[in-house]
Amino acid sequence: MRRVAFVLLTALLATAWLTPAAPNAARAIETLPTRPDSLKFAVLGDNGTGEKPEYDVGQRMTAARTTFPFDMVLMLGDNMYGRQDPQDFVTKFERPYSALLQAGVRFYATLGNHDDQNNRFYKPFNMDGERYFTFVKKNVRFFVLDTNQLDPRQRAWFDDVLQRSDDMWRICFFHHPIYSDGGRHGSDVSLRVILEPLFVKYGVDVVFSGHDHVYERLKPQKGITYFVSGSGGQLRRGDLRPSELTAAYYDQDQSFMLVEVAGDDLFFEAVARSGATVDSGVIHREPPGARDVR
Amino acid sequence: MKPHALATPHVAVHRRRRSAAARLLDRFLHRYLALPTGVAIALIWANTAPERYFGFAHSLAFPVNEIGMALFVGLIMQEIVEAVMPGGALHSWRRWSLPLLAAAGGMAGSAGVYLAYVHGHYESILEAGWPIACAIDIAAAYYVLKTLLPRSGALPFVLLLAIVTDLVGMLIIAPQYQTVAVHGGGLGVMLVALGIAGAMRALRVHAFWPYLAICGTLSWIALYREGLHPAFALAPIVPFLPHEPRRLDLLADPPDDDAVHHFEHEWNTLVQGILFLFGLVNGGVLLRGYDTGTWALLLGALVGRPIGILTAVGAAVAGGWHLPRGLGWRQLVVAALASSSGFTFALFFATGILSTGPLLAQLTIGAVATAAGSLLAIGAARLFRVGRFAR
Repeated sequence: MRRVAFVLLTALLATAWLTPAAPNAARAIETLPTRPDSLKFAVLGDNGTGEKPEYDVGQRMTAARTTFPFDMVLMLGDNMYGRQDPQDFVTKFERPYSALLQAGVRFYATLGNHDDQNNRFYKPFNMDGERYFTFVKKNVRFFVLDTNQLDPRQRAWFDDVLQRSDDMWRICFFHHPIYSDGGRHGSDVSLRVILEPLFVKYGVDVVFSGHDHVYERLKPQKGITYFVSGSGGQLRRGDLRPSELTAAYYDQDQSFMLVEVAGDDLFFEAVARSGATVDSGVIHREPPGARDVR
Repeated sequence: MKPHALATPHVAVHRRRRSAAARLLDRFLHRYLALPTGVAIALIWANTAPERYFGFAHSLAFPVNEIGMALFVGLIMQEIVEAVMPGGALHSWRRWSLPLLAAAGGMAGSAGVYLAYVHGHYESILEAGWPIACAIDIAAAYYVLKTLLPRSGALPFVLLLAIVTDLVGMLIIAPQYQTVAVHGGGLGVMLVALGIAGAMRALRVHAFWPYLAICGTLSWIALYREGLHPAFALAPIVPFLPHEPRRLDLLADPPDDDAVHHFEHEWNTLVQGILFLFGLVNGGVLLRGYDTGTWALLLGALVGRPIGILTAVGAAVAGGWHLPRGLGWRQLVVAALASSSGFTFALFFATGILSTGPLLAQLTIGAVATAAGSLLAIGAARLFRVGRFAR
């Protein structure tokens, strides 16, 4: 009897654990439409520890790819922790994601505070030696920023490329979140007062950041959806302090994201190291003028 | 001192008539409390209404940091120029060789500890911040030592050490201005500015405003066009201003008794207002923004610098140098700790090297926290029972 009660209690606790972050608790690959002509990618932040959880996440991503064939990964910074000698690129990047790299999946990195600036020259990160850059995939333009320092030249460049972009979707990713309920770091408001007006002015749709070692999706801010996905290898368990801005969160295990852009819709799933879907949903793109920017 | 028309009796009468509030303001400005007050307000504001604060700070950053602070650099340059003139405190090699060695030791100590800490934590991105760890708050060192060791050789020793250190720091950060584009043509504009300043000097123009308004503006444009820190615009102009050799009490309220010191007096008041704004615009950070750079800066300034200074002085004494009169080893420890506060100059260097972002935030917290060095100096003076605590 006690054993049954223990099992029931454990199941109840496990459900309660996932409930706030799992409005649609389905398996990762089941909620994404996986349309043949859509853009599919994964998102990974603060991963480069070289420790077991990073390898576990790498394996989980490889498994997910069998049914959700993404061909690129956005790395949100802190791609490497600790020593960053040639051997570390093997143990902290090439080996954990070896199956993905062998399958031709391209990784696009941004620099975090733990990354050596020279890592932008590392070919598999596809940064072409730049701290900030932009690239297009299908109907999406990605803007990659270096938020360690938002220098005037980078700001002018960002303003210019945003202005010239006529792409259907505009997605930004960088390391330091301008909205976050992470207890250790939280929102970087000094960056927000510079970046947010540009996002709003030029109709950025979605922003991905890391730095806080948790997963969080925020309620749209001035029409823009913000994700924090900083637990691809690191984890600060129980660090998230949910606020009125929090839409969903998960801070109990490592996680990564799967994203699919199909026409005017962006589907997303946050997947825990265990394989459980801890958040999922769809963002319908609205023209910038039609957004609620309160 | 030369008598001057401004030093007439009605100036004194006017001073006596000033209200208590005006005297309080004057005291506030001349005790270098403006910047710490600005920082304190900024810290409270940033941590209670961050979006409003950072919006305000961002909008004022350029005019305060790049235009207003040109006057601060000008004031520091003026003090340096007067100190190295014939009859000035820095004119004799014998006088400043030991502080120079101590400055080199202090810089090596603070930079070494800072870089070691940063490398130990594999955050090479913070390497560029090492000059911030070297910065010495001249005003803090002055007031701490004037209070703790009023009749020892510690005050001139530390002031010389601090001036040399900050001068080197300014030379390092001046070319590091982060600008959108370099326009060129600045050299020609600079030559015109220097030519006009030289002509004014030859014509014995004593008023400082023409130097400031005409030559300073041209110099500012020249540096800005060349992608150099425009905050250093007055550095090449100040040597043309009228000067007098300076006794080594740099931060003492200058006498308002002739043209030279009158303009210094006026300028000082203006600079204190700018320092208040500088503290207000740059001192506000979210307190949870501390990180590796904060600890690296604190250790570099509070541990690395005093050890570097004491090691360098020890080596110099072993090599035949003599400690300044009235300065024993116990006083030297207090003096080295009094120089460990970077505060004003550390903030100035931080904004000169880094742009908006988390790196600047963590180093700003470190820069503000180095003010604790003054407390360490007080603690050491008490422990060693020297100066004010001697029995």
